[in-house]
Amino acid sequence: MHVTESRTRPFSVAPPVEPGGPSDLELMKAIQAEDPDALSQLYDRYNGILKALILRVIHNEAEADDLLQEIFMEIWNQAKNFSSQKGKPLGWMVTLARRRAIDGLRKKQAYARAEERLQNETEQQPDAWVHNSTEEEIVLSDTRSLIRKVISGLPPAQQQAIDLAFFRGMSQREIAAKTNTPLGTVKTRLELGLKKIYDGLKELKGEL
Amino acid sequence: MNFKEFQNQSRLYVIGALEAEELEEFEKARKKFGKKAEDYIGECYGLHEAFALSLRPAKSSAAIKDRLMAMVRERKET
Repeated sequence: MHVTESRTRPFSVAPPVEPGGPSDLELMKAIQAEDPDALSQLYDRYNGILKALILRVIHNEAEADDLLQEIFMEIWNQAKNFSSQKGKPLGWMVTLARRRAIDGLRKKQAYARAEERLQNETEQQPDAWVHNSTEEEIVLSDTRSLIRKVISGLPPAQQQAIDLAFFRGMSQREIAAKTNTPLGTVKTRLELGLKKIYDGLKELKGEL
Repeated sequence: MNFKEFQNQSRLYVIGALEAEELEEFEKARKKFGKKAEDYIGECYGLHEAFALSLRPAKSSAAIKDRLMAMVRERKET
């Protein structure tokens, strides 16, 4: 199926909510009304995903736990700034968590250590997403499996460029320097890879 | 910049991968395309959600939630 780019309806690949449970949006509205139980439910629903994201950025268990707590506190404090017209609650939380994790990485001067670990990982397995999806892994959720299928369909060089940009917060020039690749090539890899993922996710919507 | 190019740039923008000189052009195009541009950028943030969901969820200490909820309830009471 060809997916045109003219559609501007917001899309979400969030996993389905348990039957009878409040939607993410309902929880966000309750948090905006300062209901702690709503934050508790949102935490139960998404702490694993956000922790995984933070860990992917900073590679430190204790720092990730601290940051996770800070991020949910920020969700509580900043909930009034959330607008459903601009996107889904999970997207908003992930954006916030990613920004905080990348800031944390830089501020805590863990950058050099993480860089060294990343270098080791890159040498062992240039594709971090593939690195995370070993066969020994416990059974993946349908959502995650489908998303990974889209991502793993990309050439490794495109996956690596997107991984470094998204999870490391690297600019195109930084990626070019890190991977010893011409800047124009990095830009092309990012553009092609992101377009393929974007189009793939659009098509996934029908399967989720 | 036409809208197709803007769409390409939007995907780079949401993951913070635009270089400074590209960002300037992007912001000009963003103003030019108005609501259509804002809607598209909003849609591109779905990529953040997808990248996070591509990761295997990690376990966190139970104490984290206890501390968080204690802080939230304390904040609410003050």
